[in-house]
Amino acid sequence: MRIFSGYPPLPQSFATLTRREHGFLAAAAEATFPRGGAIEPSGVEAEIPRYVDRYLGVLPARMRLLMRLLFFLVEHATLFFPAGGPAGLRRFSKLPQPARVAYLQSWQRSGFHARRVVFTGLRSILTLGYLADAEVLRALRLAPKQIDTPVCEADLLWPRVGERPEQIRYTLEDLTPPSDGSPLDPDAPLDPDYQKSQP
Amino acid sequence: MSASAGVRVFASYDRDFVEEAEVVVVGSGPGGAVLAKELSCAGRDVILLEEGPPFSPDDFELDGGVSMARTLREGGLRTTRGYIMPTMQAIALGGGSLVNSAICVRAPAATLEEWCSEFELDHTSRADLDPHYEAVEKFLGIAPTPEDVLGPRNLLFRKACDALGYSSEPIPRNVRGCRGSGECFTGCRSRAKQSMDISYVPSMVQAGGRVLTSVQVQRVLAQGRRATGVEGRVVRPFTGEPSYTFRVDAKVVVLAAGVMATPVILSQSDDLANRSQQVGQNLQFHPGIAVAGIFPERTRPEFGATQAYQSLAFIREGFKLETLWAPPALLAVRLPGFGLDLKERLAEMPFAAMWDAIASCNRSLGQVRARRGTMDPLISWQFHPADVSVMRRALWVLARLFFAAGARKILPGVHGQPEEIHSLEEARVLQEEELHPTDLVCGGNHVFSTTRMHGDPRQGVVGESGRCHDLDNLYIADTGILPRSPSVNPMLTCMALAHRIAGQVAERL
Repeated sequence: MRIFSGYPPLPQSFATLTRREHGFLAAAAEATFPRGGAIEPSGVEAEIPRYVDRYLGVLPARMRLLMRLLFFLVEHATLFFPAGGPAGLRRFSKLPQPARVAYLQSWQRSGFHARRVVFTGLRSILTLGYLADAEVLRALRLAPKQIDTPVCEADLLWPRVGERPEQIRYTLEDLTPPSDGSPLDPDAPLDPDYQKSQP
Repeated sequence: MSASAGVRVFASYDRDFVEEAEVVVVGSGPGGAVLAKELSCAGRDVILLEEGPPFSPDDFELDGGVSMARTLREGGLRTTRGYIMPTMQAIALGGGSLVNSAICVRAPAATLEEWCSEFELDHTSRADLDPHYEAVEKFLGIAPTPEDVLGPRNLLFRKACDALGYSSEPIPRNVRGCRGSGECFTGCRSRAKQSMDISYVPSMVQAGGRVLTSVQVQRVLAQGRRATGVEGRVVRPFTGEPSYTFRVDAKVVVLAAGVMATPVILSQSDDLANRSQQVGQNLQFHPGIAVAGIFPERTRPEFGATQAYQSLAFIREGFKLETLWAPPALLAVRLPGFGLDLKERLAEMPFAAMWDAIASCNRSLGQVRARRGTMDPLISWQFHPADVSVMRRALWVLARLFFAAGARKILPGVHGQPEEIHSLEEARVLQEEELHPTDLVCGGNHVFSTTRMHGDPRQGVVGESGRCHDLDNLYIADTGILPRSPSVNPMLTCMALAHRIAGQVAERL
């Protein structure tokens, strides 16, 4: 029951995460990045679970498995390291929000190195997800700028990953002058993937 | 350049195959690419094999996490055992040069003298290597980072060094036309970084060399004292799913697959070239620690060459100081705090500079062996207490630098120490309190010595020519042959040695 029941349905278009993993990640994301404060979006609003879904999809199988074990471990480690309060033995995602925060902080400050390593692993993946969000990066003024990429001779040799050499879209006529080393304009527009979408 | 002639990628393969060449080079990182190009340009028939795919700019991912997962082995999550430390090795055409920060520094003469005396080497002094350093520097346009793309966080480092009287200089890099995007780690969209995939490898192809990507070498084939070729499998990009088998027959085999992969290939080849029992031993890292400083004014850290300033003032003490930038998501992983506190820290990133120290750690050793059933390595390594003391000293020096530059606080990132330190007086705790290795959060991306060069065949895997002591025609040309740390970033020394080895191979063919 503890392992299988009570998780909300998996939103559509998730390709890698299971319903249980999604439930855990949403809880952990909200505890790590609550709404408000110096940067407005919460971890869920920044779509951390969706990021992890994509990230797991590009990991090699063994690392994907280890990452899943990490999620499972933290979700159910309350059996071995109970959270504080009367609900301390519930799985992580069933804890009240303040208890989740206190619980993860106890891992962060643990004198047991392995627990800190597990915490660091979890917080790292959540942080990667939070800072992958365009709104968060714009709020930090750290979103990548648009850069016009020159076409160099190597671009006539290497196709995109997954394509054949015959599919290379450049010819000698497409070559452009190399970068002239002019410093990037701090006011240059953002890379299109990071620009605010029009309403 | 004849477009894509001699180039094969994953989509090119439709059956098992056998190829033949004079020289087969395994690995297209800085060692293999230099060697393959030099031999091709010398008129030799060369095949260069690479397990990863080529990345075009359209394949670059600006997101740090996904980029790492696609360009690094084990999805960028590879760690050591014993002392748990992340270590990154690339899996891409161009190897680590695709996603490193292009630092090209000659090894100090004193370090090379130590190599010569301690490892019975007669021709590896700085004077011996200088012609090879020069050849590589000229080809890649290696030069100190220009002033106008340093950006505030690199200039603050210079200011700090000047204030404290430490020597410092702009870092020489293999870059032409850097615009200061700070994106070295996710692939240079300006095509300014002269990574191997846009420099040496294209020149090799232009000279008639062939490049096969998405091929994983699993064995070196040998008869008696002669290597006869290599064999392995075609592997799908990113997943590593195996498909067709291949073999390349060659008169000379060169392994440049990297410090982790080369010993695994040798051990899977019936423990080839290992009469010395040194294959996979003597593993060394440059563990690195990064400290963040928060300044009163915005530092615009996103602008400026990724790693553009350094100080070699402490090389004799065992560490080197550098500036650092990376995708914000990767740097944020190092910040302390949780919940709204963590968000406060994130919001300070536009006011931050990150500087790091890498340490030689010659006393901290480990080993590499094959993980059962795979070509992935099992990496074990232990931090020697004396080397932890070096890191502690480096932390203190970094703290001094930050406060000399006007930082209002630093985030040392050390377990058991304050999360924030607001003055030099408070920072004294960093030099006064003993540190346990696990208190440090280190990364180790420079690796050495698992097939080390030694004049005595009983104590090393290769001689100064790069040729394995046990075989007549098997060479190694990656940083595994460095007998120990070069005290500075190893890429240029690896390329210089590969340049020299190419000459030796050409002479013997």
